[in-house]
Amino acid sequence: MTTQRKLSRLAPWLFLAPALLVFTWFKFIPMAKGLVMSFHKVNFGGPDTFVGWHNFQRALGDAALRDAAGRTLLYVFVTVLLSASIALLLAQALQGTARHMRFIRTAMFLPAVTSAAVAAEVWRILYAPTPDGVINALIGLVGIGPQGFWADPSQALAALIGMHVWKHVPYDTVIFVAGLAGINSELYDAAAVDGANAWQRFTTVTLPGLAPAITVICTLGFIRGFRVFTEVYATTGGGPAGSTEVVMTQIYKQGFQELDYGFAAAASMLLFLFTAALTAVYLAWRRRR
Amino acid sequence: MVNRFTLIALLAALLPATVQSAPADEPLRVWTRSSKDGRKTYDAIAAAFTKKTGIRVEYFNALTDFEQRLARAAVGGRMPDVIVNELGTAGQLVNMGVATEIDRSRIAGADQLLDSAWRAATLPDGKVYGVPVSVQTHVLFIRRDWREKLGLPVPRTWEELAQLSKAFTERDPDGNGRRDSYGLAFPGGTARGYAAWYLSSFLFQAGGEFQRRGPDGKMHGALDEPAAVATLAFFRRLVCEDRSVQPNAINASTQETNKVFSSGQAGIYLSGPYHIALFDKEPGRDHYEVVPLPAGPTGQRASLAGGELAFITTRSRQPEQARRFVEFLISPEGQAMGMQAPKGGLPIVRLPVNRNLDAGVGHGDARWSMVAQEYAQHGHPLPQARNWSRLQQLAADGFNAILAHCSKDIAGDLRALNQRFNAELARQEAQ
Repeated sequence: MTTQRKLSRLAPWLFLAPALLVFTWFKFIPMAKGLVMSFHKVNFGGPDTFVGWHNFQRALGDAALRDAAGRTLLYVFVTVLLSASIALLLAQALQGTARHMRFIRTAMFLPAVTSAAVAAEVWRILYAPTPDGVINALIGLVGIGPQGFWADPSQALAALIGMHVWKHVPYDTVIFVAGLAGINSELYDAAAVDGANAWQRFTTVTLPGLAPAITVICTLGFIRGFRVFTEVYATTGGGPAGSTEVVMTQIYKQGFQELDYGFAAAASMLLFLFTAALTAVYLAWRRRR
Repeated sequence: MVNRFTLIALLAALLPATVQSAPADEPLRVWTRSSKDGRKTYDAIAAAFTKKTGIRVEYFNALTDFEQRLARAAVGGRMPDVIVNELGTAGQLVNMGVATEIDRSRIAGADQLLDSAWRAATLPDGKVYGVPVSVQTHVLFIRRDWREKLGLPVPRTWEELAQLSKAFTERDPDGNGRRDSYGLAFPGGTARGYAAWYLSSFLFQAGGEFQRRGPDGKMHGALDEPAAVATLAFFRRLVCEDRSVQPNAINASTQETNKVFSSGQAGIYLSGPYHIALFDKEPGRDHYEVVPLPAGPTGQRASLAGGELAFITTRSRQPEQARRFVEFLISPEGQAMGMQAPKGGLPIVRLPVNRNLDAGVGHGDARWSMVAQEYAQHGHPLPQARNWSRLQQLAADGFNAILAHCSKDIAGDLRALNQRFNAELARQEAQ
């Protein structure tokens, strides 16, 4: 009896063991090492020097990192807002169970499963800053002159946001489609009986019903946005003239180009704390409403 | 209780084998910043070295993120014995605590090496941490078929270079009826400080420098001098007015730019002579020519002199064997093999550092004699600093910003850049 009870208590752990093992080795231990590193000056040829809060002080006082943080905030809010809005519209259009809908939904999801590096190459072609570039040729049809996109410091961030939105709209759409399917259709009928028009039905039935989906999309969007790296690194590398430098590219440069591991680890910890805090505040706010 | 047991079991499973013992016949571990074709040549050298000395060699080669990989290996406690890397990384490797000081009197054959190579390898503290194994200098690659079709001369001045670049952009040199070819292939991105590395030859031709020693004996930034303004103004004309560089040049890395030239998108490329072997395959030896760099506005000739150093690491467990490997690399035999590139690899010795050897003979190619002559007469090394990589990055970020904003005040931007450069110099001095 007792052996069986012991076994049954052990069973979940045994099932979890492979995943835990992998996570411990590849996530928890590196994270702990990163935390330790953030309090040290990492010397590659010998033992590290303990420097206390020095790296954190440097990170908080670093002008380049501050600029990058401001740019990242802008990037996150614009991408989340744009992706979610477009996804909501698309989800309304893509509801239903008809066979062609399923095909369209699958086709639409492709950008989300494309790797960021591949997407970067595709968009490099689309954004070619020559008159015969794909997008430049298209806007040329309506009389707009050729644009620089990633080659122009005043447009590069917006162009990057465009690519990010393209990549993440399908993801958000799927979540919204699932959310829409979960809304009780009787509510729509009741609203119709009460004489509500389409807009009133949307604001009083659809939107409240989608609240959980919106929470998920915003939370994921924040986390994804703040640690954006591949999309930037594979396209502009933070340029031109630093106009697309975000927190992660800045950390990467400090850590892996300047080989200032301690500073990069401290900045990463700050980013982690900030993202966690922001997400917690957002979730608490959603729960209160 | 069970939980604790499980945790302990998990931890036990996770504990790495931390105790390492060095077996007697441990191979010498050598890291080289080279491609897989360069690696073939290194393999041939290692085979000859092992045959001669009985010391086995285990290579690791990478072209991208080389220093990052090295840092990771060092943090993980697995540092190689020998590192062969670019001249410009010497300060960084010393700062990392990876490279040991070299006593030239203890390296056999050190007295046979070019003085210029030793000078370029000397850090500001007057010490040498890496043994020169190869030197090189910037040259100009031009699509000869395009140039001859348009009936234009090989550019000997900046102005002729600009004209050729413009003609390649506007006069359809590949004759395909479309305006899809460009003049200069320009790696203007900031990764690894490319923009500064690339523009350095032009800066030197204009009579400029990155830094100069002041009357106080300290180094000061020289990026606010008229020469730097002239250099950036010339390039901004190519990028913003003539638009004769390839599209998106402002974000381009050298690897992307190699493709721009080899694929025929652009017809002029300033780069190291190591691309001769690559460009002989594409666009093809008959289609292009290798020529010296043009002269600056006042007629001054200069081209960036670079090279590679072999470092023996601080944590090497077999420094004696490492020293013997480096001695073999700089010996006439090692240098000749590095140039000949047996087994179909790429040459890893560009110009020999051993003054008894001839580059033209070594490569079996007269074009290399021209490169050797340019190096000897007009080679101009990058400055050595305690951390040149960081200074070069700073300069690259500044140059990139100036070329990206087509309408800003160049002199003012360069003054601001020079202040940042000086601040970094002072920071490195204080370290």
